[in-house]
Amino acid sequence: MGIFHKSAHDDLHRDRPSLGDWLNLRTGWYGFVQKNLDEPMPAGVGWWQTLGNLLLTLLVFQFVSGFMLTLFYVPSPDHAHQSVAYINDKAWMGSIVRGIHHYGSSFLVIVIVLHILRTFFWGTYKKPRELTWALGVLIFGIMLAFSFTGYLLPWDQKAYWATVVGTRMVETVPVIGPMLLVLVRGGEEVGALTLTRFYAIHVMALPMALMGLTAGHLYLVRRLHISGPVTKQKGKPVKFYPTQLFRDAIVLLVAIGWLLVLAYLAKPELGPVANPARVDFTPKPEWYFLGLYELLKLLPPQLESVGTFFIPMGMMVGMFFLPWLDRSDSRHPAKRRWIIDIAIVTILGIGILTLKGLLS
Amino acid sequence: MEPHYNHEPDPETPTRRKVMGGLIGLINAGLAAAIAIPALAFLLDPLHQKRSVGDWIAVLDESALAEGETKYVTFEMLVDDGYMKSVRNASVYVSRKGSRLVAYDPSCPHLGCHVEYKKKRDRYICPCHGGVFDSDGERVSGPPPRGLTKVPTRTEGGRIWVRKA
Repeated sequence: MGIFHKSAHDDLHRDRPSLGDWLNLRTGWYGFVQKNLDEPMPAGVGWWQTLGNLLLTLLVFQFVSGFMLTLFYVPSPDHAHQSVAYINDKAWMGSIVRGIHHYGSSFLVIVIVLHILRTFFWGTYKKPRELTWALGVLIFGIMLAFSFTGYLLPWDQKAYWATVVGTRMVETVPVIGPMLLVLVRGGEEVGALTLTRFYAIHVMALPMALMGLTAGHLYLVRRLHISGPVTKQKGKPVKFYPTQLFRDAIVLLVAIGWLLVLAYLAKPELGPVANPARVDFTPKPEWYFLGLYELLKLLPPQLESVGTFFIPMGMMVGMFFLPWLDRSDSRHPAKRRWIIDIAIVTILGIGILTLKGLLS
Repeated sequence: MEPHYNHEPDPETPTRRKVMGGLIGLINAGLAAAIAIPALAFLLDPLHQKRSVGDWIAVLDESALAEGETKYVTFEMLVDDGYMKSVRNASVYVSRKGSRLVAYDPSCPHLGCHVEYKKKRDRYICPCHGGVFDSDGERVSGPPPRGLTKVPTRTEGGRIWVRKA
């Protein structure tokens, strides 16, 4: 029995129904909550399955802290840096709110990658969960777009130069690249219109897309239920509440606690204001783009668009279509060797390049 | 309860359904276009704007640049920046080779980081992805697809002028 142990039927006949009962009669929400709390967890489901809930919670933190930042932030080159400095130094708990948003984005990238790796190695993208996986890949893409557009907004040197380089990568797209560059920047140079574009995409387009995709992803997770470990384990399925939800709560406590401590102790950095005429500044992207940054150093000019466009695009497209590329029936890693090998080589490659970037 | 059977002739003939369905589809397509067309135009507006050509700007006294010397010069440009006019910090490398005066855009033709001139090696080096250019701006090694972009220069009234887009 879950926490909502009374049946809806009893409540309707009470003289003074509670507000909850009143709402239940009209919406049937007791049933909805009960159904979710009773969601069956196959034997063997454990800590690895807490990542989804953690992602969702981190997203809520990003939404709330992001909204708070917009109360002070001005997306214009003559005020953006000042307004962020105000948030950082003057606004009450401003550096904490900005810290939650800043470090939270890194947390999100780490957790979503772990979530994807778990799904991949457990082989749970297979029939009938292909679309759950595909929506997840789209969500991952949206996250990267969030971090790319959000990076520009403080309008400091790092922000400006990372965007100059990042948008120039768009120019290397075959045929339509130069046009795309102007569209992404809102003009020839990174300037006022780039900032408003990135801001509008960051606070309007991406959140809406993310909400829709996340709703679809969650709907499918509940409709198709959680698949257990690769090899079926002995034991009956247990209800989501309380065992699994308790694990979720512990993970949330540790992760969000860590985020808050970080936001409290380490004030997020704000560098000198963007200056298009400084050579003493070496642009370096956020850590999760360092792998790509290092890859670009290695490629000869003829292969430029391979690194800037074809490899990143190919990886996203390959991930999206993974359930249709790997058509083996078995979820066991040993039975789908080739895809596991490709993944391990890719992960190692990204890992080594990222490490090289961190050390350089 | 007994289902209610209606024995009247059905006014919804197949043709009527088809025609109305078609009209609904047409109206919906019109509505979609009504918002999509202006939205798209708005989005594509940057392609529609004319690219401005920069003015000539005096950046350095002629006497300040010795033979064989290369200098990094920063200056301010008044530019149209979308909805605002802004003063943009700009920079060029100016160097004198014999009677010839050349200026290079410091933006690396690879991905746009600013290259640094290393006097000892007489090379321009890109700090981002390691592109190397010789003193004539030609590509030596690294990922850049071509040499540094030349900026038009002239001398007048004892000053060096450049025109940066």
